[in-house]
Amino acid sequence: MAVPATQLKQVLHEEASPVRFERVTKRFGPVLAVDDVTLEVPAGNLVTLLGPSGCGKTTALRMIAGLEWPTEGRVYIGNEDVTPLPAANRSVTMVFQAYALFPHLTVFENIAYGLRVMRRPQAEIRQRVSEAMSLVGLPGLEQRAPAQLSGGQQQRVALARALVMQPKVLLFDEPLSNLDAKLRKRVRADIRMLQQDLGITSIYVTHDQSEALAISDIVVVMNQGHIEQVGTPTDLYRRPASRFVADFIGEANLLPAVVEDGAVQVGGHRFPYQQPGVALGAATLMVRPESVRIAVGGEGLPGRVQTAFFMGTYADYLIETEAGEVSVADSQSVDRLYAVGASVRLQFSPSAVYLLPPG
Amino acid sequence: MASSTIALARPAHAPSTTLIAWSGLALAGGLLLPWFRAGRELAVFVPGATGLELLGSERTVAAALACALLCGILGGLRLPLYRRGQMALTTAALGCVLVVLALARSGQPMGPAPVVLFLGFLSLVGAGLSLGGYLRADAFIAASIVWVAVFVVIFILYPLWAVLQASVFVKGRLTLEMFGVVFRSPNFLMVGNPLTPMDEMRVASTLGAVVAVIAGLTAAVVARRLRAVVVWAVGAGVAGVLVAALYLGFGAVRNSVLLAMIVGGFSTGLGFLFALLAERSQLPTRRLLGPVSILPIITPPFVLGLAMVYLFGRQGFVTHSVLGLSTTAFSGLLGLSIAQILAYTPIAFLLLQGVVRAMDVALEEASETLGASNWYTLRTVIWPLARPGIANAFLLTVIESLADFGNPVVIGGGKPYLATEVFYAIVGRYNPNEAAVFGVVLLCMTLTIFLIQRYWVGERFYVTVTGRPTHATPRRLPPALDYAVTGVFLVWVLLIVLLYGSIFVGSVTNLWGFDYTFTLKHLKGLSPTGWHVFRTTASLSLIAAIPSTLLGFLIGYLVTRYSFPGRRALEFSSMLSFAVPGTVMGIGYILAFNQGTLLLTGTELIIIMAFVFRNMPVAIRSGVAAIHQIDRSLEECSTMLRAGSATTLRRVVAPLVQAALLSGLVFAFVRAMTAISQVIFLVTPRVNLSTALILAYVEHGSMGRAAALSSVLVVFMAVVIMAMYWSVTRLDARAGRGAQAKP
Repeated sequence: MAVPATQLKQVLHEEASPVRFERVTKRFGPVLAVDDVTLEVPAGNLVTLLGPSGCGKTTALRMIAGLEWPTEGRVYIGNEDVTPLPAANRSVTMVFQAYALFPHLTVFENIAYGLRVMRRPQAEIRQRVSEAMSLVGLPGLEQRAPAQLSGGQQQRVALARALVMQPKVLLFDEPLSNLDAKLRKRVRADIRMLQQDLGITSIYVTHDQSEALAISDIVVVMNQGHIEQVGTPTDLYRRPASRFVADFIGEANLLPAVVEDGAVQVGGHRFPYQQPGVALGAATLMVRPESVRIAVGGEGLPGRVQTAFFMGTYADYLIETEAGEVSVADSQSVDRLYAVGASVRLQFSPSAVYLLPPG
Repeated sequence: MASSTIALARPAHAPSTTLIAWSGLALAGGLLLPWFRAGRELAVFVPGATGLELLGSERTVAAALACALLCGILGGLRLPLYRRGQMALTTAALGCVLVVLALARSGQPMGPAPVVLFLGFLSLVGAGLSLGGYLRADAFIAASIVWVAVFVVIFILYPLWAVLQASVFVKGRLTLEMFGVVFRSPNFLMVGNPLTPMDEMRVASTLGAVVAVIAGLTAAVVARRLRAVVVWAVGAGVAGVLVAALYLGFGAVRNSVLLAMIVGGFSTGLGFLFALLAERSQLPTRRLLGPVSILPIITPPFVLGLAMVYLFGRQGFVTHSVLGLSTTAFSGLLGLSIAQILAYTPIAFLLLQGVVRAMDVALEEASETLGASNWYTLRTVIWPLARPGIANAFLLTVIESLADFGNPVVIGGGKPYLATEVFYAIVGRYNPNEAAVFGVVLLCMTLTIFLIQRYWVGERFYVTVTGRPTHATPRRLPPALDYAVTGVFLVWVLLIVLLYGSIFVGSVTNLWGFDYTFTLKHLKGLSPTGWHVFRTTASLSLIAAIPSTLLGFLIGYLVTRYSFPGRRALEFSSMLSFAVPGTVMGIGYILAFNQGTLLLTGTELIIIMAFVFRNMPVAIRSGVAAIHQIDRSLEECSTMLRAGSATTLRRVVAPLVQAALLSGLVFAFVRAMTAISQVIFLVTPRVNLSTALILAYVEHGSMGRAAALSSVLVVFMAVVIMAMYWSVTRLDARAGRGAQAKP
């Protein structure tokens, strides 16, 4: 019998707490995994820690979980300093990378595990497990073994097992990496919808930038143990703070440019552009491949087509210009590709470029 | 739903039930149980020795009990976590010291009270370490680490220390005199025998010189470099002298080393060939390898020696009855080598089977597509890849051979071997110091080999580097090799069948060698002594197998999942038993537990302890292997769902390793049942063991009765092992349904 999950929903909503890192550093021997990180995660938000492997994102997550301890600094959940507390006392639960479903227990017993550890009465366990199962949409699978479930179902069991504990914060450690590409898209939509519905504070670790952009309220880009940039997905994509972020989030052309008064010059091509707070002189111009317009004549940065590939919805070009190679994803010419060797002009729309410090 | 369930499990300064419970237990044990025993008897209640009665007279006892009480009070006080941890740690550590002091001052054999109290204090030390933040682990894990460390020190390191001490302390004086005496004795090592007309030293050096010249000239022709010439000449010269000395010399060192070299070489070679056979043969005979390789595990090692006497001894069935010879050629190095090769080839086989199996078939296919023949591939791909594994197997069989005690006793032909000299020095010559010196020499040899194996060869396995073996069809051996090796294997099987057969037949034969009529008198003669001893052996082995396995798995878990100061040291010392020959550990136990407060000799307990710590390393290995199979995030997940580590172990880890636990338990049991070298020192007429009884039968010439008891033992073991395989298969099948959850 499916139990309506309104009660659990309400508790989860009420319990959602902010998380705060205060100058947290973690060393593994000589290796600096997390380097003096300060971070605030507002209650009810889904915040993604994004970065290449070894950037410290998983270590940061595990320090919130209580599976690792900071070498220096404090971790707060709500208003409480949880730095000295072991994982068991933190009111935080986690969805693990490979789900970590206990293979020797049924779906019901997996979800009930934490409640059994806390020695809740049988009736309450049955009630709460049932609520959690209907919340994630897993009806009638109580007595299955984890191995008998599909990847998506296993994922949902892991989620139910985490939610049933009514955590203040829910952690996700690359939860989609074991699913195939198609399923991944669906499950990530499910996670996002459920998270927004519950309003639970969630911290999500991934190395997949498209995943991060798709589901986050806020993305924290990490590199070599420190934070490169914190912002909304649009912020990061349109206005990256560094070459690293520009390069890591999506594909970016980073071209040497000169900033003049009210204009930018790149490889001899000059176009009007203004960006507050940018000094005159040398700079780096960031432009996304899909924002470059390609034409045969007229204004623009002259170049020669080096490679041209048909990609289905767009044409992929590599254009050699005075400012260096420029990658272009053009949907206009997809039916009639420019020939390799052809002379073309590249135009940049001022609304789709961004200036970075020179480098 | 009450949202109070979300609040922290406990406020930081609430009373600590762990502290209160353990100090309560320690206090109760320390007060109510007797502190001392009257003699060797373990379970005798000595009046006037309980803590309550000693409280007034013995101040150290009173102080120790006060410490326990204080820990309980600390548990009840409202204190900050760290503060409480520090104070509990200090008090409990002081308590440990006081217990030791109280025992040392009395010098009487300790009773159960100090044991309970001491273990209670150890748990409190663990809880203190955990609460005080000195160890990033909960109280259960911290206490386990402390317990295990103390056990390892008392039952592994302390006996070894006692051996070292006895070798240099003679009658209370620090001296190397005993080493001198032993080293000069012809029993130890003698190359130049004054009684033979030949001057062995000169022969050896002449031979060495000849070999050196030949090697040097060859190097000069082949390599044309001065350095190569020197290296080869010196190397070959030294090797030549050593080989000649080994061949011509006398004494325990010579015998043991020569035997170990022969056995190591043959066992490894045969083991490698059989491994190839098992993995690559097309012939149906390869299926026999599995069952045959189990035989030595379920047989006390010297039973093969016994069978050798039956078949090839002076009145042997083959030598005397069939061939009409009366020869002692097989009694001595030749027979001993054969018995040991038969016993240790399966060990090498099992090690090398893993090596051959892990070899990436794609490499061989690559070699083949590049135009190499089967032979060429075998020579240039398989052999170099297997070489470190082969070195590993060689070193381990050498250790086994050096440490073997039973075979040299049974068919050594009365010649001295290092492992047996340790025994005879104590039992025959009543000289524990001499025994200790022999023990130290033997220990140094095995330990050196063990260290070479672990740190030099052990790190050179190429196989583990490639990681993921491709699932291609296994290559088959070149047919000529396949048939040849199968031939060798069949001879080996025939020998095994003959040997085991002779034991079984011998147990129902009137008088082997003279009167081959059927009789049940040997089997009947086992009643009552034989059966009684057999039952004792089985029950002691079973009692020991449980803590041995649990402790081994616990250590395996601790060293794989936690990092703590002394982790490497703990891992190393608990593995030491692999390298320490049983006889050395045996005199260690005799020397360490024969007097004072730790008096244990003559009791069942010392035999149980010997079994527990002897068989623990095997359990550690299988524990580590089994725990590596478990995705670590399962335990982390359990932790995050509020389970303490004890709960996680019980509810997550234990169910997932139950098959490994069961087989660990059975192997610990079987190894205890068949053990001889260590416990031979510890048995008494009152507490005797089957293996020791068999040896006693052999020494008294009751070969039929020895064969009868051996047969009973072998059959019993075979049944136990088969039952174990059957249930493990069932457990695996049941776990298999769930195990795929881990992608």
